[in-house]
Amino acid sequence: MGTGPGAFGGVNGPSIIFQFDNVPLFGTIYITETLVIGWIIVAALSALVLWLTHGMKRIPTKKQVIAEMLVTTVNNMVRDNMGPRFVKGYAPYIATLFSFSIVGSLVSLLGLRSMTADVNATLAWGLICFVMITYSKFKYGGGLKGYIKGFAEPLPVMFPMNVLSEFVTPISMGFRHFGNIAGGMVITGLIYWALANLSHALHLYFTVGEFSLGVLQVGIPAVLSVYFDLFSGFMQAFIFSMLTMANVGNCIPDDKR
Amino acid sequence: MGNMGFLSIDVTTIIGTLLNTLILFLVIRKFLFGRVNAILEERQKYVETTYEEADNAKAEAAALEEEYTKKLQTAKEESAEIVRNATQKANIRSEEIISAAKTEAAGIISKANEDIEREKKHALNQIKDEISDIAIAVATKVVEKEISEKDNEKLISDFIANVGEL
Repeated sequence: MGTGPGAFGGVNGPSIIFQFDNVPLFGTIYITETLVIGWIIVAALSALVLWLTHGMKRIPTKKQVIAEMLVTTVNNMVRDNMGPRFVKGYAPYIATLFSFSIVGSLVSLLGLRSMTADVNATLAWGLICFVMITYSKFKYGGGLKGYIKGFAEPLPVMFPMNVLSEFVTPISMGFRHFGNIAGGMVITGLIYWALANLSHALHLYFTVGEFSLGVLQVGIPAVLSVYFDLFSGFMQAFIFSMLTMANVGNCIPDDKR
Repeated sequence: MGNMGFLSIDVTTIIGTLLNTLILFLVIRKFLFGRVNAILEERQKYVETTYEEADNAKAEAAALEEEYTKKLQTAKEESAEIVRNATQKANIRSEEIISAAKTEAAGIISKANEDIEREKKHALNQIKDEISDIAIAVATKVVEKEISEKDNEKLISDFIANVGEL
């Protein structure tokens, strides 16, 4: 394309930051962008939490009010969806999931790659949900026998489909989250690329050495990013948390809630 | 360094994300939920105790008010009783005084009457004596005749009896 930005480079997975070769049992280990960004988010959120809850008093300060509001909101959400007995155990996890997911999606606003645009990250949370579901079914369904029996309901013919749906649940959850964020990322990238080409076609661009900036690339992607990054990131974090609560809650009989 | 595939499954990333989530979970559980729930509980307890104390104070105040009202009522009744007693006593006393005064007055009057009666008798007796003396003198002078002492006396007595009709 001559002086233009060239063809759309396709979609890439997360870049590899470190690489450990010949690790016993594992072979080559890749430390990807996803993990590094995950560490940064964990550190940042931990620091935020420690700052918010530092020096709490009976008469709250402003930051303490925020911390209390966050906690009571999540507590109420878990109480409504799973029952009052599960608030203490599950609310911290739901809060972790929600905050990790939303910040993992919204780091794209800082120019980083969304952590949740890596299918491995969202699948990991789906796996946690799967473990929780299985644990609850064992605990409240009457052990291994009850667990296996549960797949033969309402009809024994349903057994294979029920087993399949059991394994599909975490995968579908993980891919839904991944698909939305990655899709938004791809669309944003496409629009950015298209606007660059349009700017070149209209001769509305500046070039400083290797760096080239099209006039149309300023502003317009930001408006679209409000939907694809902010709204979608928030929605997916909310949906994933709600699905986790609903799926685990479904395994608990009403009288145990 | 290159990129991973867009859809490649990488166990390291999965395990790493699980560990990240675990660490964040532990931090959030201990430092966000642990601290906030503790402070919320403490505040709830504080509010409960405060309300309980307020209720107790209110009940105490109500009890005190009732007690004071009762005491006031009793005091009023006592004062009314005292006034009534005093009035009664005063009445009795005044009646006593009046009756004593009446008795005394009656005594004085009867004594005065007695005195008058006595004076009257005394005066009558004196008059009788004087009249008898005068009569004797008159008789001695007028009659110039020797009358025995006995006759004389009888004469005088008759005379006085006649005079005594005064």
